[in-house]
Amino acid sequence: MNPTAESQHEHALEKSKFDLYVRVAMLLAVITGMEIITVYLPFPYALLFGTLVIASAVKFLFVIFIFMHLRWDRPFCTIMFFIGLILAGGTMWALLKLFSASNSLPLSSS
Amino acid sequence: MSTAGAGTIDHHLDPTTSTGIPNKKLLMWTFLASDCMFFGCLISTHLIYRLHPPPGVPSGRDVFNIELTSFSTFILLMSSLMMALAVNAIQKGNLKSLRFSLLTTIFFGSIFLGCQVYEFTHFVSEKHMTITNSIFGSTFFTLTGTHGMHVFVGVIWLTSMLIYSFTGRLTEKDAIDVEMMGLYWHFVDIVWIVIFTAVYLLEYI
Repeated sequence: MNPTAESQHEHALEKSKFDLYVRVAMLLAVITGMEIITVYLPFPYALLFGTLVIASAVKFLFVIFIFMHLRWDRPFCTIMFFIGLILAGGTMWALLKLFSASNSLPLSSS
Repeated sequence: MSTAGAGTIDHHLDPTTSTGIPNKKLLMWTFLASDCMFFGCLISTHLIYRLHPPPGVPSGRDVFNIELTSFSTFILLMSSLMMALAVNAIQKGNLKSLRFSLLTTIFFGSIFLGCQVYEFTHFVSEKHMTITNSIFGSTFFTLTGTHGMHVFVGVIWLTSMLIYSFTGRLTEKDAIDVEMMGLYWHFVDIVWIVIFTAVYLLEYI
């Protein structure tokens, strides 16, 4: 590739990255707006809960893969972060299971 | 840092390390993974005590102001965009754009902190919910306060980087330092994404 063509290619690449960041930010704002509307809809708890969890997960993944560059980085960075994430998720699941049991109710609870 | 071609730097690869990842980046990802566990424990503690509120304690729905929190969330998301643009700018060696993006990120981060200070003051003075008078207050203030401290540290870091950019020693080769700061700032954003859903929105369904 000659220097002029390479420069044009780089410029196009940088512009597309800028556009991608802006589009992702707009998408995140729209999803947040939808989340806020969702909580006022007269639907069953499970459906609303599921919708909120999925929306939150989508926002989370967009930020880590696009804004935090995991999409372009070595897979080891993703593995490293997901180890922490899985351990955190497992700990949360275990704690919620353990302390949701009736015999772990605080003494002052109604 | 390796060179990808004449005059360009590959910011995603460092052939001098055994993993091919710059050591600073690996360190930051490891730290963020450990911070996930820290926030995971704080969030689950809040969710557990939310399930078993002692009698007479106001629920989250009674005290929260969803409009203000939604505004804070939007501001933090936009700060993430500006941070991504700041990293993009330094990777191209564009200091002017870097400074503008950093300044905007600092501004948005400060607005977020201001909203949080207002919210905390409102809860204590108007809603009479403090960190000591209810278990809900204890877990809520600990979780959101810890997140707020992370944002505060991020704003200090951003400000020091902005000042450093005026010394003339910050170049395209130092993009990794701005990228580390960006990773930290985006992490603060993703933690808030989870807190916004798990702590605030769940109270409304």
